[in-house]
Amino acid sequence: MAEYKKTIGIEIHTELKTKTKIYSNSVNGYGKTANSNVNVVDLGYPGTLPTLNMEVIRLALKAALILNCEINRDMHFDRKNYFYPDLPKGYQITQAETPIGVNGYVEIEVNGEKKKIRIHDIHIEEDTCKSIHYKHHSFLDFNRAGVPLVEIVTEADMHSSEEAMAYVEKLRELFLYADISDCKIEEGSMRCDVNISVSKTSELGTRAEIKNIGSISNIGRAIEKEAARQIALIENGKEVEFATYRYDEKQDETVIMRVKEAGNDYRYFPEPDIPFVEIDDELIAEVKKTIPMLAGERRERYVAAGISLLNANKIIQNRNLSNYLNKFLDSGINLVIASNLLLGDISAYLNKMGTELENTKLTDEKFIDLVQKLDKGDINSKVFKDILDDVMEKDTTIDEIIASKGIKIINDPSALKTIISNVLESNSASVTDYKNGNTRAIKFLMGQIMKETKGSANPELVNKLLEEELNK
Amino acid sequence: MSDRLTKQEVLHVARLARINVTEEEIEKYQVQLKQLLDDVDKIKEVKLTNEDRLIAPVEEKTVCREDEQGEMLDPEEIMKNVPSSNGNFVEVPVMINE
Repeated sequence: MAEYKKTIGIEIHTELKTKTKIYSNSVNGYGKTANSNVNVVDLGYPGTLPTLNMEVIRLALKAALILNCEINRDMHFDRKNYFYPDLPKGYQITQAETPIGVNGYVEIEVNGEKKKIRIHDIHIEEDTCKSIHYKHHSFLDFNRAGVPLVEIVTEADMHSSEEAMAYVEKLRELFLYADISDCKIEEGSMRCDVNISVSKTSELGTRAEIKNIGSISNIGRAIEKEAARQIALIENGKEVEFATYRYDEKQDETVIMRVKEAGNDYRYFPEPDIPFVEIDDELIAEVKKTIPMLAGERRERYVAAGISLLNANKIIQNRNLSNYLNKFLDSGINLVIASNLLLGDISAYLNKMGTELENTKLTDEKFIDLVQKLDKGDINSKVFKDILDDVMEKDTTIDEIIASKGIKIINDPSALKTIISNVLESNSASVTDYKNGNTRAIKFLMGQIMKETKGSANPELVNKLLEEELNK
Repeated sequence: MSDRLTKQEVLHVARLARINVTEEEIEKYQVQLKQLLDDVDKIKEVKLTNEDRLIAPVEEKTVCREDEQGEMLDPEEIMKNVPSSNGNFVEVPVMINE
């Protein structure tokens, strides 16, 4: 029996990080008092006209370029007409005929295999108001009405929940790093609709749309559940209905919202209040300059510097840390040590203090000095832990901090040799263990030596001398 | 070709516009709306000499605004202009399909 093949297309709405809304100059902000970020344009008062926010064009263009799209140089907007309280004008201003970007792609990697997901288009539109439903009433908050969005529509190129999740994760990473959106799925600043059908043949099955899935892992679960539901229907000789669903996380199932009507009644037509927008070479060049090093390239550079893939990914998950590390990419310092510091003790410090790197006294010079001292063995990780608070909170140099703490690093082989001999003498049982092949005994001896030196010995040097001494 | 729209078509348009129509009006609009559509078809017969789309009554390009905040409304003022409100929220009969 032939297997069912899933076919998946994804639409993602992402709010753009602007100060003001797309067609009005009221504030684009999250979590404010209801209806406090609203002006006459957002409410569609008679006689008001939209004024297009240039920053929206820049960010949407940046997104289109990152998605490898062809740019519509002469673009316009269209009215999507519908009568619903979430849009008081009676229409949404969107792009239907000349979306800012078309025919792009995003490269994803699943189980070590790279694949291009084609982007049908990316277009600009306004968000609608937020509504809360209670009994026989709905309560409307227009703070979100007119917030700029881009909608990214893929071709139906994905065939598994893994691919779908990889695509959404990749898009999120791209937009986050390019500073286009804060991409918070849970808060609704990034919203995913998934179209899915199943078929045993090359002919596509009837698709269902699952709207507004609340997290990346839920995208995977919703796809699996919906595919299973469709397969069960077909196996029982029933038909899949062309309909819209939502994914219910608690029930772990897709729940029908409405059956789709054939054809659309949106009566799109060009928006006459916003004449053509010209996207010229100059603007494209200007926007290209604002595209920073993206996550993919960062990962490659980190791994090439010897950082493990796991740690590289951990750093990339935190854009502040990654931006900080990037300052030292060409400085010649040991990036493995640098990344370990950032992910380990420095992250722990920042979490403990509830602060960010830029609010600390850790200057670039101090960071370089720290990494070099650790690299050369001038200080060890124990000492680093001891001085960390001062490094982050004081204006003094690393040398000054070390001196003020009375820390002396024992780097002198002859001094260390004496300590080592003493430790070996008083732990002769462990020495015998080691000589009898119990290699773990060396760890114990090492610990005793570090204890003896109160952690101030250069561990690499101790290790080397200890081995020499034991193998005599 | 018929000289009128079907009753269903008129009701469909009325539903999109959220207006109620009487039986008499339906009959009247069946004819009038068809005439309108025929007139639009006539316009379509015009031979165009260029393919450039005209979307606005002006040929100038859009002049964009920079991303700077302007004046906003006081929620209290907004509530004076809505049929029904509840605290800072605009209240409407329950919206279905959400």
